[in-house]
Amino acid sequence: MSDSKTITLELFRYHPETDSEPRFQSYEVPYDEDWVVLDAINWIKDYVDGSVTHRWSCRMGVCGSCGMMVNGEPKLTCAAFLKSYYPFPVRVEPLVNFPVERDLVVDMDGFMEKLRDVKPYIIRDDVNDTSQGEYRQSPAELAQYKQYSMCINCMLCYSACPVVGHEEEFLGPAALALGHRYNKDSRDRGKSERMEVMLSNEAMWGCTFVGECSVVCPKHVDPAGAIQQAKAMGAQEYFKRFVMPRGAGTKGAGASRGAGA
Amino acid sequence: MSGQYHRSHSRAWFLERPGYIRFMIRELTSFFVAAYLVVLILTLGRAAAGEAALAEWLQALSGTGWMVAHGVALVMAVWHAVTWFKAVPQAMPIFIGEKKLDAPVAAVLMGYGPWLTVTAGVVWWAVR
Repeated sequence: MSDSKTITLELFRYHPETDSEPRFQSYEVPYDEDWVVLDAINWIKDYVDGSVTHRWSCRMGVCGSCGMMVNGEPKLTCAAFLKSYYPFPVRVEPLVNFPVERDLVVDMDGFMEKLRDVKPYIIRDDVNDTSQGEYRQSPAELAQYKQYSMCINCMLCYSACPVVGHEEEFLGPAALALGHRYNKDSRDRGKSERMEVMLSNEAMWGCTFVGECSVVCPKHVDPAGAIQQAKAMGAQEYFKRFVMPRGAGTKGAGASRGAGA
Repeated sequence: MSGQYHRSHSRAWFLERPGYIRFMIRELTSFFVAAYLVVLILTLGRAAAGEAALAEWLQALSGTGWMVAHGVALVMAVWHAVTWFKAVPQAMPIFIGEKKLDAPVAAVLMGYGPWLTVTAGVVWWAVR
C-alpha cells in the first residue's frame, strides 16, 4: 500500500427489501497503483461495509463474472486499474440493459435464455458413435470460428449494445456470436436448427451494426463481425429454402472421421 | 419494497457514447447519398427528355446553392463509403489457409481498390 493516498469509489446501491430507488454511496479506498476496481470493491466489503453485493470469481479475466459499468463504460472490474482513474472518483454501477437484483448484481436469466436459444453446442445425430475415432478438423477449419469461441459470457457487449436495451426480441451480441461460432464449426450439423431461431423477426436482424459490442469485448471476440456474417449466412439460407426446399442448410462442410492419429 | 430495479432508457441514448454518435452520423450520411441519387435520377430523366432539357438542368445544377449541395453530398458520400469499407473486413473476412487477412489489407482489396479503380475508369471515360 503506497503512502496514505486514497481514491473515492461511488458505488450504486439498491436493496430491494428497503429501497424503491437506487442511490450512490461514496467510499474512500486506499490507493494502490497495482489495484484494480475489483480489489477496491472487495476492500470495501471486507473492511467498511459488508452489505455491498457484487459478483466475482477468478480475478484474472477468465470467468467473466465481474463485469460492471465503470465510469459509464462496461468493464471487467478485474482488468480496470485504479491508476487509470486516479485521482478522480470512480463510479461503479451494475451492467446496464439488465434488471438490477441488488447493488452491483444484475439478473442474468434473460441472457441465459437467449444463450440457450441459439443451441451453443455441436449438434449431430451420430454424436455417441465414437468407434470410428475422433472428428478431425484442420487448422484452417478451426480458424473459421476460433475467435468466436473465446467468449467468456461476461455480458459487457449487452451493456454496450443500444439495440439490446430497446428490442426485447434481439438475441444480443454474445448469443449470436456463439450461434455463429457453432454454425462455422465443420463438425456441426445443426445450422438449420440454429438459423430457425436466429432468422426469426428481430432475433438477429435487429442488429444495426453499431459495433460497440466489439469495442468493449475484453476477449476480442468481435461479435459485431460475427453477426454480420451470420446475417449473410441467414440470407443464403432464406433463399436456399426456395431453390432447394428439401434439405437446405442441413449439412455442414463435413468433418472427416478417422482413427486417432 | 421488493423486486428488481429496472433502469429506464434515455431517449437521447445516441449521445451516451462516442461510438453511438459515430453510428448515428454514419446512418445520417445515407440520407445525403439517397438524396443525391434522386438528383441523378432526375438528371437521367432530363437527359431522356432531350439535349436542350439536359443543358438547362445542368445549368441550374451549376448555381451556387447546388454547388454547395454537391460538395456536402460528396463529403457525406465519402464518409459513408469510408465507414463501410472499414466494416467490410469484419463482415466478410478473407482467410488464406488458417490466416485471416489483416483488416487494412482486406479493406483495400474489397473496398478502396475497386472504388478507386471504378472512379478512375469513370473519370477517364468522362474526360477522354
